[in-house]
Amino acid sequence: MSGAGDREAVFPTRQSLGLMKNKLKGAETGHSLLKRKSEALTKRFREITRRIDEAKRKMGRVMQIAAFSLAEVTYAVGGDIGYQIQESAKQARFRVRTKQENVSGVFLPQFESYTTEGNNDFGLTGLGKGGQQVQRCRETYARAVETLVELASLQTAFVILDEVIKVVNRRVNAIEHVIIPRTENTIKYINSELDELDREEFYRLKKVKNNKQRDNDAKELEAASKRRGSDKENTADDPGATDILGEQEDQDVIF
Amino acid sequence: MEGLFFNVNGGYIEGIVRGYRNSLLTGQNYNNLTQCETIDDVKLQLSPAYGDFLASLPPNPSTSSLANKTTDKLVAEFRYLQAQAVGSIAKFMEYLTYGYMIDNVALLITGTLHERDTRELLERCHPLGWFETMPVLCVATNIEELYNSVLIETPLASYFKGSLSHQDLDELNIEIIRNTLYKNYLEDFYKFVTENPELKGTPTSEVMAEVLEFEADRRAINITLNSFGTELSKQDRKKLYPDFGGLYPEGTLMLSRADDLEGVALAVSGNHDYKSYFDQVGMSGGTSSVGNMAGGGAESKSLEDMFYQKEMEISRTVFTRQFTHAVIYAWVKLREQEIRNITWIAECIAQQQKERIGNYISVF
Repeated sequence: MSGAGDREAVFPTRQSLGLMKNKLKGAETGHSLLKRKSEALTKRFREITRRIDEAKRKMGRVMQIAAFSLAEVTYAVGGDIGYQIQESAKQARFRVRTKQENVSGVFLPQFESYTTEGNNDFGLTGLGKGGQQVQRCRETYARAVETLVELASLQTAFVILDEVIKVVNRRVNAIEHVIIPRTENTIKYINSELDELDREEFYRLKKVKNNKQRDNDAKELEAASKRRGSDKENTADDPGATDILGEQEDQDVIF
Repeated sequence: MEGLFFNVNGGYIEGIVRGYRNSLLTGQNYNNLTQCETIDDVKLQLSPAYGDFLASLPPNPSTSSLANKTTDKLVAEFRYLQAQAVGSIAKFMEYLTYGYMIDNVALLITGTLHERDTRELLERCHPLGWFETMPVLCVATNIEELYNSVLIETPLASYFKGSLSHQDLDELNIEIIRNTLYKNYLEDFYKFVTENPELKGTPTSEVMAEVLEFEADRRAINITLNSFGTELSKQDRKKLYPDFGGLYPEGTLMLSRADDLEGVALAVSGNHDYKSYFDQVGMSGGTSSVGNMAGGGAESKSLEDMFYQKEMEISRTVFTRQFTHAVIYAWVKLREQEIRNITWIAECIAQQQKERIGNYISVF
């Protein structure tokens, strides 16, 4: 019985049976809770996956347009303005702040982009020619970066959720396939041990009762034969009968 | 009369330039280019015109390296011409390079202002704007030193003198400095072609005056349009307009007061060409549609496109004149446009955006 599955090392007592039963109940509640959490997370996870897909497609489009607008700038300005732009940019116009979002107890960072107004460091670039293309290119790239920020926050959420879902699923599975069976096994073991004890106890009682019965029977028999022997002695002295009597008396002493 | 002596000094150069002009890509070539599927095809199509210069490019080169190589060819040819030039032609060609020098110096000033190592900037400079003392600019570590001891030695010193102090270099936006220099340069160039005794009254002065006046107008209009919505004040803006040109003085005065696209259109309405450009661009679209080059459809052109188109047409007609230095200027401009066209087409092919590939400007 105890070899059928692993069980916890407990003494098979009624107290530990109660403990185990409590534990089993706790494990079942925990299991259903965790299962629900995992389902909620998975739902969220699927939604994020879908949004990542959308965002990636969008990013592809936006980046294409942005790269093309850069080509327009190159055409209109007729030269490389990269260095000048780099040097004249002093303050970040496009900024990112983070928030936390709570999804079933998991904290997901969310990046949120915003632009600081009135910060136009290279507004005069391309004053002589191509200025409008430069501004337009900047706007296009600002949109591209916005998409990237959105994608980044989704990706981070994706990674974190993935991790958390794995952990939760591992816990669910552990409870379902390890802790609950083991506790059940332990309970079964304790039950069987207790039953065994019961049976032993019962047998012992029976045995004792049997013995008592037999003793009683023997005593009664002896008493009866004594009575008969005294009658016989009285009538005819029989040595054989006396021998047996003597032996029985010896045995009685031993018992 | 001018034909009598022009060929003594300029005949050979003019011949060469006309030869170069014939090697420019034609409409047919551009058609072939637009049919290409990869950059390698483009390279192959360009090989008759650019042969040696593209040979060293790796397979599927980037568009910028393609542009660099095509520029290299322009530079090599220009250097050859410059080596042959004497007298007023040599001076004329120097003037041509000043425009690029202004860009280079502006670049180096930017580097110095931000205390970067300007040596690595040298290779980013336009090779046509290279002058002997340019590496010396890198020695200066602060802007005052740069102004007092280094810029004075450059050919551009006269453009700094009088209009910009060293405090200005520090405080003004580099774009304003660049445009101030460019304004001074255009005025000086204009004075050179109209008043130089060797050039006065020759076809050169006639043609170049027209070209430079157009250039001045274009800059004035562009600066006005691009300054909307920036911190550039109207007074400052007015200082950037060259003091000559088809619009000067009434047009530029009105430009300096313009607040929006309508104001600019009104200011240029005295000139038939510019007026028709503005009409074509479409007033209805508002400011947003002006700059975006052919915004939606391929057929609508932006103002900048039209200016380029006009510049190319002027440059083409210059070749109808003989005995003039202006052919060199026209050739350089045509060549630059060609490089831009090639870059544009290559860019469109590389990015698989064929719908606007026809946006190049071809005049032959």
